[in-house]
Amino acid sequence: MSSFETIIWINEQFKDTNELVQKNLEYENKHIVLIYIKSLTNFEMLQNLIIKPFFEMQTEQQFNIYLQALPQFQEVESKEQLVLEIMNGNILVIIQNEYYLLDIRVSNNDKVNSTYVETTIHGSQLALSDNLETNLNIIRSNYHQSSLSIEYFVKGEVNKHKVAIIYDKEKVKSDVLDSIRKRLKKVDKQIITSTTQLNNFINDKRFSLFPQMIITERPDRIVYNLAGGKVVLLVDGNPQSVAAPVVFFDFMTSMEDNYHTVLISLFLKILRYAGLFLSLLLPALYVGVTSFTPEVFRTELALTVAGSRVGVPFSSFIEVLFMLFFMELLLEASIRLPKAVSATATTVGGLILGTAVTEASLASNIMVIIVSAVAISTFVIPVNEMAFSIRVVRLVLILITSVFGLAGLVLGFFVLITYLVNLDSFGEPYLKLYTASKNKESSGEKA
Amino acid sequence: MSRYYYYLILINMVANIIASVPTILLQYHKDGSVSSMALAVVTGTILVTIYTRFFNAFPGMTLPDLLMKTTSKWFYKPFIFFLALMWFVAGLITLVTFIFLLVRYLTPEMPVFQISLLLIFSIIFGCFMKTERVLYTIELILLITFPLILFIFYKAYTSKSIEWDFVKEAALYVNQLPNVNSFASCFFLFLGVANLFIFNRFFTKKQNFKWMHIAFIGIISTLTLFTTYFIPIGFNGFENIDDLVYPWITTSDSLRMEFFMIERVLFVFLLFYLGIAFLSILIHWHVSIEFLKYVFKLEEIKFRGFNLGKYIPILFFIAVSLLFVRVMNEYKLFRISIYFYNTLIIFFPLLIILFFYIKRSMKNADKAKQN
Amino acid sequence: MPIKQSKTRLIPLILVPLIFLLSGCEFKDIDKDVFVSMMAIDLSDDEDKPYKITLKLYVPTSSFKQSPEPEYSYITQSGETFSEAIRLLESYSDKELEFGHSKLIVIGEELLKENKSKEILDFLLRRPDIQMISWLAVGRPSAEEIVKMLPQGENAAYPALFNYFDDIGTESQYIVTTYLFDFRRRIGENGIDPILPIIEINKNKSHFEINKSLVLADKKEPHELSTVFTGIFNMLSGNAETADLIIKEDGHYFIAKIDSMNTKYKVTVQDNNRIKIDIEVSLIGFISESQHPLETQNLSYYNQLFEKYEKKILKDFFNEMTDKGYDPIGFGIDYKSRTLHNTRMSNEEWDEAYKNAEINVTVIPKLKSTGTIQ
Repeated sequence: MSSFETIIWINEQFKDTNELVQKNLEYENKHIVLIYIKSLTNFEMLQNLIIKPFFEMQTEQQFNIYLQALPQFQEVESKEQLVLEIMNGNILVIIQNEYYLLDIRVSNNDKVNSTYVETTIHGSQLALSDNLETNLNIIRSNYHQSSLSIEYFVKGEVNKHKVAIIYDKEKVKSDVLDSIRKRLKKVDKQIITSTTQLNNFINDKRFSLFPQMIITERPDRIVYNLAGGKVVLLVDGNPQSVAAPVVFFDFMTSMEDNYHTVLISLFLKILRYAGLFLSLLLPALYVGVTSFTPEVFRTELALTVAGSRVGVPFSSFIEVLFMLFFMELLLEASIRLPKAVSATATTVGGLILGTAVTEASLASNIMVIIVSAVAISTFVIPVNEMAFSIRVVRLVLILITSVFGLAGLVLGFFVLITYLVNLDSFGEPYLKLYTASKNKESSGEKA
Repeated sequence: MSRYYYYLILINMVANIIASVPTILLQYHKDGSVSSMALAVVTGTILVTIYTRFFNAFPGMTLPDLLMKTTSKWFYKPFIFFLALMWFVAGLITLVTFIFLLVRYLTPEMPVFQISLLLIFSIIFGCFMKTERVLYTIELILLITFPLILFIFYKAYTSKSIEWDFVKEAALYVNQLPNVNSFASCFFLFLGVANLFIFNRFFTKKQNFKWMHIAFIGIISTLTLFTTYFIPIGFNGFENIDDLVYPWITTSDSLRMEFFMIERVLFVFLLFYLGIAFLSILIHWHVSIEFLKYVFKLEEIKFRGFNLGKYIPILFFIAVSLLFVRVMNEYKLFRISIYFYNTLIIFFPLLIILFFYIKRSMKNADKAKQN
Repeated sequence: MPIKQSKTRLIPLILVPLIFLLSGCEFKDIDKDVFVSMMAIDLSDDEDKPYKITLKLYVPTSSFKQSPEPEYSYITQSGETFSEAIRLLESYSDKELEFGHSKLIVIGEELLKENKSKEILDFLLRRPDIQMISWLAVGRPSAEEIVKMLPQGENAAYPALFNYFDDIGTESQYIVTTYLFDFRRRIGENGIDPILPIIEINKNKSHFEINKSLVLADKKEPHELSTVFTGIFNMLSGNAETADLIIKEDGHYFIAKIDSMNTKYKVTVQDNNRIKIDIEVSLIGFISESQHPLETQNLSYYNQLFEKYEKKILKDFFNEMTDKGYDPIGFGIDYKSRTLHNTRMSNEEWDEAYKNAEINVTVIPKLKSTGTIQ
């Protein structure tokens, strides 16, 4: 197809936007046509790389070779690709029926963020950025292996974002990789803006309570995941990465464990698991003990609990739900607080949930302590996704305990374990204790 | 031998500390229980060795698989059905015992029906799992509950209130002839190895089972039997121990943790034992459903495209359990347990003959294949 | 996996009707329960209704710091059987009676003399909610008075009486602690007799005095042990960890504080159904008080005095026990634990032999020092 027809066709594609710029440059027998989108192009690079040399070089031939030698040069394969790449920020240079694409886009989102969700005391505080290229740069510079492979997909019918699959070819489990590729090809949603959406679409379960893939923004965790054989997914425009397959214990490890000594990491790990059990079981335990079998605890404790419930108009189950509801509201609202109001909100939350409720005898003292303990220990879990799941499971356990008593609590907990053991994350059992001899390769996963 | 194998045996032993086994043993405390225990340790260990060696020869194959290969359909279908029934009854006995315990001690005012529904539904959820997932569940729940139970045993042994003179007196009744009922109930402790009939599916690598492993099982079983029988005597006296309906509940109630949040050890014991009983019933009913899958082709019963086949035996289990809970009282449960255990001591040794037959048939089949 | 999806749809369908069950079952809040702190069982004056039960109930306060004075309420009822009395008592209180926290059961002295300990025990054991680790005691003059008294210095968090028997409270050598399970096994067995502490109130009604004990035996009157002998019993059975022993011998009068003691005993059978009991007591301690100054170089002499005096007291104790046929220490079960059951004496023969038993007491004294001064 001649270049003239192609130019008409391209203009046809972009007839609704007035951002398309078409420049015809003619000088000293050199004739090129430039087509680009104004808001995507880096003018300085355009000037330095293309326009200036165009006017300085002697022949078209030289300019041809010069263009092909540029690092931003890209091969042209089809007409559709031309349109796509122009929309990606490339500039189309047409020289006598030869098409050249050069990547001179301006990226304003390639600043590396600092860690926002997953902070640690030691270690790097830099997270991924919003730009896919920068992210790939960060990952590659942290993982110096030639077997690191990257595959690109374009997803999202409407916004056509680039999705990258990253894995270490020698360590990855090939059936997991195939399965992910297959499922990714099946995704046909209109708009994909973040990796977490991919999380939902790739899984074939709609109602799963526990996360099947782990979301992280830290490069060091990504590097551990790659070394353990996981497959990492990145989407352009989103600083979170998603890794699969995942095991329950991945959610309970923090990068800090590797930066401290063994004993301290052990202590912190025990603390975390204790926090997990506490946040899951404590409210239900309170309901079970006060309403079903007060004889479980020793006499002094039972008397204290009975004393602190003097005057409370609700039954213990309603009281627990009421306080937990307030706590959840507070947590949810504090995500969206504008900075000006945040101080007020903390005061209000502390006052309401703390003193005023007890003074008005709407809830007992012990309930306030339990709710604060639960709120704090929920966030001991390093990865936030699991904390959300725990909040929902806690409610379910309270419900079961209210109907069946302490036996319900214990059995509900065991049923939860059974459910978790039954889950699969891309073929890997979700909850399973690994021993060193059994799974040497997945010991990297545990990190 | 893989650690999952030991879990299977251990659960069966430990789950019966609170069920009918000590009641039966202590009923005959002046009538030959001690010698029955010693005899049961010896014969039980021998049985465990024979069964394990047999299954080690066919890694990854379950008993119904082997039967399908070596015997005719007319034999193995009713046989496996009978096995499924037996495992169902074993789980059922533990289930009903525990329901009675919960109603008596934990929530006396809750209707029995409600507690039974709770227990049954928790276990039903687990019955549909794959075999290896059952083993992972066992490992996790054991990890949580077993250390606490060991701690309670430790407290029992080192308590100031235990009177070792009673224990010595009970032990001196050793010169009597063993008693069938006591022997049967001790023997039941060792029958956890029979769960290998289905669980062998998981052990796909060749395992070794040498003297050290056999001795380990022998020691564990002796310790368990010793604890089951003698500790209640130490705490509750020798003469009147047969008055107690649940000897271990009374024993754990006699322990006292002074410096902890929970003073009556009874509740801790009961709740953590609930975990072990849950695992025991889960194993038994899982094996039972797996057997039924071989007898009836359950995957093929479809109703409007729904795979209903799996749910039919479950409905049957639920109905029979609820009926049982309705009809049973403690005495009837006691007698049924005795009859059940007595049948088992005849049945399982007879199966050894079947094993020889299968081994020979498989060897012949192998030879025929090679030629 | 279609199973999981259909299951997740089933789960809300199952859960919702279950919530309606909340209305009717067992869900009882803690402020509709009242906890029973102690039970007192007495002989009532009524012939038809011999058992009089008094319950001491906790009244919960919202803050122990603001109101440190304890508050209790009492309800009393007589009945022909225990359950009848308890059932009537349940109708007197507006809240549900919770026995799960009652830790002390006081029995009136009169009731024990009527030899009804087996019925009392039956009631206490058959109910599943009474703790087997409850303490038992005898109340003098009556259990109701003991239970109703509030001594000085009691605070609302914990009744004072519990501290006497608890290992955390006072650890005197004169207080015998008997748990319910211990009482039960001693009553049932033939070789060991139950022993209960006696709680009395002093003349000013300001505090309790617990320093005597009562030994019960089948078909016999209960026998009271004096203070000194109660101390000796505690020492021998290992219940006391420290003891103070008075030595009055040969012009010297001093008190030895024993902080470690060890008792070993053995029953051997001689021919003709006669038994010999060998008891060896080793006492390690130091001197804590003396009327006359002591010299360290004479420590071995003081040890000899100690041995002589203690041996005499121990022999008196054992003679009293064997003459009257009471066996709280458990020589009977010691005998049973050493002989095979078919070569044993019958119970009557043992009782005879015990009465005529020959007792050898050896005391090994080890006084280490005379204290901080001489």
